[in-house]
Amino acid sequence: MMKEYELFIGPNHPGATGNMSYRLWAEGDKVKRAETRVGYLHRGFEKLMEKRLWMQNVPLVCRICVPEPDINEAAYSMAVEDLMGWEIPERAKYIRTIILELARISSHLMTVGSIAASLGIYTAAQWGIGDRDYILDIFEEITGGRVYHIYIWPGGVRWDLPKNARELITKVLDYLEKRKPMYDDLILNNKVFIRRAAGVGVVPKDKAIEWGVTGPNLRAAGYKLDFRKLEPYAAYDKIDFEIPHYPKLGEYEVVSDGSDIYTRTAIRMLEIVQSIRIIRQALKDMPEGDVLLKQPQWFAWKVPAGYSYVRVESSKGEFGYFVVSDGGKKPVRVHVRGASYTHGINVMETIAPGLNIADFAPTAFSLDVCPPEIER
Amino acid sequence: MKAMELFSEAKEIKKGRIRIETTKDKVEEMIKKLKNNGYEHFVMLSCIDWIKDGKFELVYHMWSYKYKEHVMISIKINRDGETVPTMSHLFPQIETYEREIHEMFGVEFEGNKRLVSFVLEGWPHMPPMRKDFDTEKFVKEHYYKIPEVKEE
Repeated sequence: MMKEYELFIGPNHPGATGNMSYRLWAEGDKVKRAETRVGYLHRGFEKLMEKRLWMQNVPLVCRICVPEPDINEAAYSMAVEDLMGWEIPERAKYIRTIILELARISSHLMTVGSIAASLGIYTAAQWGIGDRDYILDIFEEITGGRVYHIYIWPGGVRWDLPKNARELITKVLDYLEKRKPMYDDLILNNKVFIRRAAGVGVVPKDKAIEWGVTGPNLRAAGYKLDFRKLEPYAAYDKIDFEIPHYPKLGEYEVVSDGSDIYTRTAIRMLEIVQSIRIIRQALKDMPEGDVLLKQPQWFAWKVPAGYSYVRVESSKGEFGYFVVSDGGKKPVRVHVRGASYTHGINVMETIAPGLNIADFAPTAFSLDVCPPEIER
Repeated sequence: MKAMELFSEAKEIKKGRIRIETTKDKVEEMIKKLKNNGYEHFVMLSCIDWIKDGKFELVYHMWSYKYKEHVMISIKINRDGETVPTMSHLFPQIETYEREIHEMFGVEFEGNKRLVSFVLEGWPHMPPMRKDFDTEKFVKEHYYKIPEVKEE
């Protein structure tokens, strides 16, 4: 008779999705109970934001999420614009769309690679990180920064795209399109991957919405819901794209009932294709003109009193900013809703019992848990 | 039914954003009603410290995929010692939000069995998200001194 024992995963562990840890209680190799433990990454952003001017918070917010910082800049800027009553220039909307989609591709490449790596396909992770670097090169060219860009700004974007941006971006998109079949052979068409990932780490479909699941994880459960369509921001309302969702997995075989590691990975690969499509359209349709509104002195902004909640569709799900102003020079409260808050804690703790210990890490990776979103 | 039809106190602050100001004894009924009327996504629970009024404001955010509407239910409680009934039985993720607010603001949620430490471990000081917690002073007191080396 096997006795129940305790197992600690993280915070420095290939099976933990960043600086967080899990406490597992297992019997044999079956997980009985799991507890998410965070606190390794708390930097007090929300408190800091209350002490800084509206403008000073722009270079701060991007630090909340390392793999995809632009969603923070976009959401914070949108909240300030909402309270100020600003309508940003048309060209800036398209540039924001391009930046956000590039960030989505870079984040998805990392996630897909990590899911595969947690199942032993390490090549995928190397490829993912490697190909992500080409996108970081574009960011460096456009914004000056590789990881943190501080480019999306309340009122638009800080400056126009460089003259060679179209060629640079198209070159990388062409390259990624060429690479995709190689990724497919390595991951989603790979029998080893399918056998390990299909039907594992299932989020019950009927509970997905109630549990607060959003983003690719929700679409893998069969819901065609995406905030880019539900509440269009930037230029998404003018762009034609599809929402990949279970069971419409395109070129990939439907091998399970959905909402598992396999489907979540497939949805992310399909979203990369859609992102490429969006960027190409945005580059083509982008109008000429200003990219930043004429603004009052940056350090003297007073934002009208009010409550604003804005959301963007991040690579991980709904990413929202709740911003409260009392009409002063600093925000009263900024509350960040990260998609991983629910995915990483309640969802993970609920679906963990019954998992094999070896399947625990791939499940966590496939939910794309990003700890800095949990402890802002 | 939409939130504007369900509750007379609902105000539309802009398109797709509804704000309801209510009291803590009505909030459970409201969340239940919204949940049963298409507002099935609980977005988050926020807390704001209005120190001048001596109040905490708790904001329950809900979203309807059907109506594309975001509802913010606001309740105000006294800053010192007023408890709030838990809503974690309605949506499981509320448990974590309450746990965080308990730690960061010191609000007690009656009936939530998991108000254990979340991000801060063994924090003996004032809950740090309260407006009267002075971050700068705290940092200076705790981290600006070089610890003395004691001879044995």
